[in-house]
Amino acid sequence: MENLIDFFNKVGKLKNMPRRGWVINDIKNPESIADHIFRASLMVWILGSKKKLNIERLLKTALIHDICEVYAGDITPYDSFLPKDAKKRKALMKTWPRFSDKQRKMLQKKKYKKEEAALNKIIKDLPREIGAEIKHLWLDYEKGLTKEGRFFKQVDRLENFLQAMEYYKKYKKPPQGPWWKWAREFFDESISLEFIDEMAKKFHHDKLRR
Amino acid sequence: MEGKIYYITKKKLNELKKEYAELMEIEKKKSITQEAPKILESEDLNPEFVSFQEDIGFLRSRIDELGNILEHHELIKNSAKDKQTIVGLGAKVKVGVDGEKDEFLIVGTLEANPALGKISNESPVGKALLGHKVGDEVIVASPVNIKYKIKNIKYEIN
Repeated sequence: MENLIDFFNKVGKLKNMPRRGWVINDIKNPESIADHIFRASLMVWILGSKKKLNIERLLKTALIHDICEVYAGDITPYDSFLPKDAKKRKALMKTWPRFSDKQRKMLQKKKYKKEEAALNKIIKDLPREIGAEIKHLWLDYEKGLTKEGRFFKQVDRLENFLQAMEYYKKYKKPPQGPWWKWAREFFDESISLEFIDEMAKKFHHDKLRR
Repeated sequence: MEGKIYYITKKKLNELKKEYAELMEIEKKKSITQEAPKILESEDLNPEFVSFQEDIGFLRSRIDELGNILEHHELIKNSAKDKQTIVGLGAKVKVGVDGEKDEFLIVGTLEANPALGKISNESPVGKALLGHKVGDEVIVASPVNIKYKIKNIKYEIN
């Protein structure tokens, strides 16, 4: 039981860890990693019910997908070249970072290694079966091994995108251009695409009328 | 998802076939011995297989998933020479995106990984680029319209 308490104690830290994407956009009182996990779980359950998917697996994947961030931190595509100067940073946020193939591979490998090591550290004292289940759910999410893993990856980013639009409505940031560029390249699943069209109507109806 | 065709490269197909055969072997041995098969002790083994020994349910769902893909796949091949001036599946496309340069490989959903420049043919950008040629400007509609100018098209899928 002691090991379980240690585990819950560690993952509880996610309640106080702000999402880095919002911090670098100077969002006031940004949501925590646990906040994101909470809504992504609800979203994947409800949206996943529209498909013939294993809801238990979806929910478990949602719950564990970011726990590695207790040790790895929340990594964004901007981190490798983020200026310290606030003005330069603000200007950078208006663009979507584009990398060469070599840089892309290097960044992804680095992120994966860091997160996998962090996950191994966080699950190492758990009962073997639970630890192994968490590990393979995470691998499924990272590598898209099953329909559930691939669907959750889309919903994970959908939650992030919804939050970006909510902040934009409230604070007029983060800049929407980079988000839409990214979204049109990333999402390819029918429910996610339908959801995005509805979000566009709700949050950007003024632009769509033009 | 039933009835869906998975477009995959030959490299991916070979990987999936190998994984399918290995997982079937693990499942077979496990059902006989109820112990971790020898293959799990191999250092060469893809590490994600290792945890499967703990969870037969997950092993079975991955086998079913692979079986479904192998049954409903179509290989991505290089376009015929006279069609290599047009964006199709397997094309590596250099574009200008609102003044910035970028490069995408157009693949099926299973191999899509935008962080690595691999764009799904089912994404709005992938769909919009298909069928276009060098010099074309493609607008991807959204609240913030995005213009892609096609600079170069290459096919290098084996």
